[in-house]
Amino acid sequence: MSPIDRRVLFHFNWSLLGLTFLLFAVGVLNLYSASAFRLEDGLSVNPFYQKQLVWGLMGMVGMAVFMVFDYRHLQVVAWPLFGVTLCLLLGTLFFGKVIYGARRWLDLGVMNFQASEMAKIAILLIGAKLLSRGQRPLDWGHLFMAVGVGMVPAGLIVLQPDLGSALSVLALLGGIILYRGVRWPVLRLMVILGPILAPLGWFFLHDYQKQRILTFLDPGADPRGAGYHVIQSQIAIGSGQVWGKGFLSGTQSQLRFLPEKHTDFAVAVFGEEWGFFGCIILLSIFCLFLYHLFLAAQDAKDRFGSFLAAGVFFYFFWQILINMGMVLGLMPVVGIPLPFISYGGSATLVNFCLIGLVMNVSMRRFVFKQA
Amino acid sequence: MTTNLEPEGQQPPRSGLILLQCLVLGLFALFALRLWYLQIHRGEEFSRKARDNQLRREAIYAPRGLIRDREGRLVAVNEPAYALGLVREDVKDMQATLAQVSAWTGIPVQDLTQRVGHLRKRVKPFEPLILVQELPFELLARIEANTLFWPGLEIVVRPKRYYPQGPLLAHVLGYVAEVSEEELERDSTLAMGDLVGKNGMELILENRLRGAKGVQNLEVDATGRRLGEEVVTPPSAGENLTLSIDLALQERCFHLLDGQAGALLVMDPATGRLLAYVSQPAYDNNQFVLGLSSKQWAELRDDPLHPMQNRAIQSAYPPGSVFKLVVAGAGLHAGVSPKDTAYCNGAYAFGSRLFRCWKKEGHGTVDLLRGLVQSCDVFFYQLGDRLGVDRMSAFAKACGFGDLTGIDLPHEKPGLIPSREWKRKRLGEMWYPGENLNMAIGQGYNQVTPIQVARFVSALVNGGDLIKPSLTMNDDPVVQDHLQLTDKQRDLILEAMVETVQEGTARILQRRDAHIGGKTGTAQVVRLKASEAEKRRKLEEMEYWERDHAWIATFGQKEDRAYVVVCMVEHGGHGGSTAGPVVKAVYDYLFGEKAS
Repeated sequence: MSPIDRRVLFHFNWSLLGLTFLLFAVGVLNLYSASAFRLEDGLSVNPFYQKQLVWGLMGMVGMAVFMVFDYRHLQVVAWPLFGVTLCLLLGTLFFGKVIYGARRWLDLGVMNFQASEMAKIAILLIGAKLLSRGQRPLDWGHLFMAVGVGMVPAGLIVLQPDLGSALSVLALLGGIILYRGVRWPVLRLMVILGPILAPLGWFFLHDYQKQRILTFLDPGADPRGAGYHVIQSQIAIGSGQVWGKGFLSGTQSQLRFLPEKHTDFAVAVFGEEWGFFGCIILLSIFCLFLYHLFLAAQDAKDRFGSFLAAGVFFYFFWQILINMGMVLGLMPVVGIPLPFISYGGSATLVNFCLIGLVMNVSMRRFVFKQA
Repeated sequence: MTTNLEPEGQQPPRSGLILLQCLVLGLFALFALRLWYLQIHRGEEFSRKARDNQLRREAIYAPRGLIRDREGRLVAVNEPAYALGLVREDVKDMQATLAQVSAWTGIPVQDLTQRVGHLRKRVKPFEPLILVQELPFELLARIEANTLFWPGLEIVVRPKRYYPQGPLLAHVLGYVAEVSEEELERDSTLAMGDLVGKNGMELILENRLRGAKGVQNLEVDATGRRLGEEVVTPPSAGENLTLSIDLALQERCFHLLDGQAGALLVMDPATGRLLAYVSQPAYDNNQFVLGLSSKQWAELRDDPLHPMQNRAIQSAYPPGSVFKLVVAGAGLHAGVSPKDTAYCNGAYAFGSRLFRCWKKEGHGTVDLLRGLVQSCDVFFYQLGDRLGVDRMSAFAKACGFGDLTGIDLPHEKPGLIPSREWKRKRLGEMWYPGENLNMAIGQGYNQVTPIQVARFVSALVNGGDLIKPSLTMNDDPVVQDHLQLTDKQRDLILEAMVETVQEGTARILQRRDAHIGGKTGTAQVVRLKASEAEKRRKLEEMEYWERDHAWIATFGQKEDRAYVVVCMVEHGGHGGSTAGPVVKAVYDYLFGEKAS
C-alpha cells in the first residue's frame, strides 16, 4: 500500500485544518497587538509576531511531515524516540542554559531547543502504544507500566523546574488512560487518593508556587506583588466590556500594566480588545477544535490511532482549561500557555506536529469504515 | 507492514464519552459565565480601574504673584528650584533607592528613611514626596541622568521665592516657607512642600498672591514613566502687586538707621501710601524660604536687638512730646481758646507734688502755639488738668491711637491709650488726677506705634482724613475716619510744627526751599527720681538700655509734593538730637538730591 492514495486525500480532515489555521491566525494577530508598547512617540512593536509566524510555518512543515506516512509505523519508533528524549532531558539538566533561574533549554548553537516539548510527542506515542495492548478495561499491570513510563520524563521535567510542562505531559497520559477506560475500583481509588495526595504535594512545591496558590485564594493580599498578575489580568479583560476597545487599542497591555501579555496572559489582551463578543467567538472556535479532535479519536480505525488522537485532545483540553482558568482568575497562576494564542516557538511547532498526527489518524480511518 | 486491527473493543463505552463531552461543554460554559461576570457584570468597574491605572492626576503649580516697587523694579520673584521627589508606588527597592540618594547627596540614609516615614501619610498616592528640597546644580545633572535607572525618583521643578533685596524689604514683604501641618489641615488645596506666606505682605495677601493650582491628567505606563499630559484645569497665576515703596528711597532710609534699633516711615499724606518703610535691624528673608537651620534661627532669636521685630507696627512706646499735638487738638476740640495762656516758672504745683518742666528756668507766659513750639510741659500740665483723662482719651482714640491701623502686615500692635475703665480693669486702681498731667505730656501709660503717628500727622496735613496706611499701589486709599478738628484748628497745630522747625526743638530740619514742620518727643525708659532729674545726665553717661526712646514726627511740602516722615529710635536719647538728623537726611534726599 502506498503511503498516500486517493482515499486518503478524500478523507482529509479539512475542518480540523481550517480551525487550526484560524486559531493560529487569531493568535498572530493578537500577538501583534500584545507586543506593541505605547511610547511617547507612538507604538513600538516587538517582533514576537514575526517569530511566531516563522515558528508557525515550521510547524506547518512539521504537520505535513507527520501526515505523509501511515501513523502505524510510529509504533516502531516509539521506544527509540522515548530513549532519545530521556537522554536529551538528562542532558538539559546538566548542560542546559539557565534562563530565569530554570534550566529548560539546550543550546544547539543556531537555536535553543526545549527537550520537554519533544517529550510530549514521545510520551504520546509510547502511551498510545502501551495502552493499545491488553484487556479492556485496563488491568493493573498495564496501568502501572504506562504511569511508570510517563513518570520518568515528567519527573525530569519537574527538576528543571517546569511544573507546567510536566503536568501537561501527565494530563496527556492520564487522558489516554481515562479515555481507554479503567475499572471502577481503579477510578474509585483515584478519586479517593486525589484529595489525599494533593495536600501532600504542597510540601514538594517551590515557595513561588505556594505563593501563587495563596495569591489565588486572596489576590488582594498583595496587590502590587504576587497578586498583581491576577488583578491586572482581570482588569484588562473586564475593561473590554461587551464589544472591546478595538484592535491595538488596549491600554492595559500597551502601557505594560499587564505582565506576560504575549505569553501566558495573551488571551487577556484579546479580551480587552475584542470584549465579551470576541471572547465567546474564540471560546466557540476552541470548542469546535476540541470537538473535531474528539471525533478523530472516536472514528480512528484502531486503538493506537484512537489513543493518539485522544492524547492530543486531552493535551489541548488541559492547556485551554488551565490557561483560561488562570487568566480568568478561576485558578492559581501556572505557567501553561494557550495553544496557538500564546507566544512560544517550540510549543507552536509541537502543537502543529500533534495536529498533523491527528490528521494522519483521521484521514486513514477509511480502512475500518469500509469494513 | 502490520495492520494491528482490533475489530472490537477498541472504542470506550458510549456513556463515558458522553460524560466527557458534557464535562468539556460544562467547563466552556463556566468560562463563558466567568467572562460575562468580568466583562459585563463588572465591566464598568474594571473599565474605571483601567483608566485609574494609566491616568494620574497631578497639580500644575500656579506662579505666585510678582511684587515690584513703585518704579517697577522687582522685589519678589519666582525662580525654579529643583527638588528630588520620590513616587513610592513606582519604587522597586526602597532601601537601595534611598541608599543611592544618600550616596549622591551625602544625607545619611537614616535621615532619608525618617523623612519618608514621616511624610508618607501626608503625600497623596502617586504624588512625589520631596526627599531633598533643593539640589545644587552639579548634583542635578548627575541625578537627572540616572533617574531612569531608579524608578520612582524624579526631579521636581517648582517655583521658589527669591527676594533680590533681602533685608531691605524683609519687614515689608515677609517671606514664604514650606507649608506646615496645621496649614495643610486647614486648606485642602495645599500640598506637602508648597510654599505659603508666613510673614509680612506674603502672609496677609497670601490669597491674592498664591493664585490657583491647575490640574492635569498624566498618562503613565506601569513603570510610572509619563507618556503625555492633558490639562484639565489650567492654573491661574497669582496677582502681581506693585509696592508703594520707592526702592531708592527705601535703601537710603534703611541705611540711615544702620546700627540702630528703630523705625523710619515716609508716607504720602494724601493717600496713606508708604514710600519707605524701615524697621531696623532687619533679617534676610531669603533664609526662611528653604528652611532656616536651627543655628540660624537661634542667632536671630538671641540677637539682643530682635531683628524679627517689626518696629514700625510692633514697637509701642510712650510718644513723649509728640503727644502734645494730640492733647493740643483735644483742647481745641473741647473749646479751649488758643489765646488762653499759662505761666511757666519751671514747675507746676499739683496737690503736694511738683511737676517739672523740662526747662528749669521756665518759659514765662505761653499760649497754645508757644506751648507747642517750646514744648512747654507746664502749659500741658495745666491743659491736661483742665481736660481730664476722659476727653484726652476719647480724642486720642478718634485720632487713631490705641487701635490697629489695619495696614496689610501681620502682628500689628494697637498700642495703648489709657482710660479710667482700662486702669480699673487692668490695674484695679482708680485714675488719679495727677496722672492727667503725665498723660498730657505723652508719658505714663500712653503707647503709640510709629505707623499710628504717621497716619495722624498725615491726617493733619491732608485736610483731616485718617487714611489706612498702605504698602501697595493696587488698592485705592481707604479713608477710615476724620479728625475732630476744624481746618483752622489743624492749621494752628501745623503752624506750631512749622515754627518748631524754625525756632524750636526741630531746628535741624530747616530748609529754605521747602515748607517743613515737625515735633520731637522723648519717651522715658527709666523713671527718673526727683533727685536724679535735677542733674539730668548726659546721654553718653547712660547705659544703652536706660536711654530714652527718641521720636520725631514731621511733614514736608515743596511745590506739589508732600511727605510725612516719622522716625523712632529706640534708646536714641533726645528726639531732636538723634531722630532729627535721620529725618533731615531723608528730606535732603527727597527735596535735594532726588529732585535734582
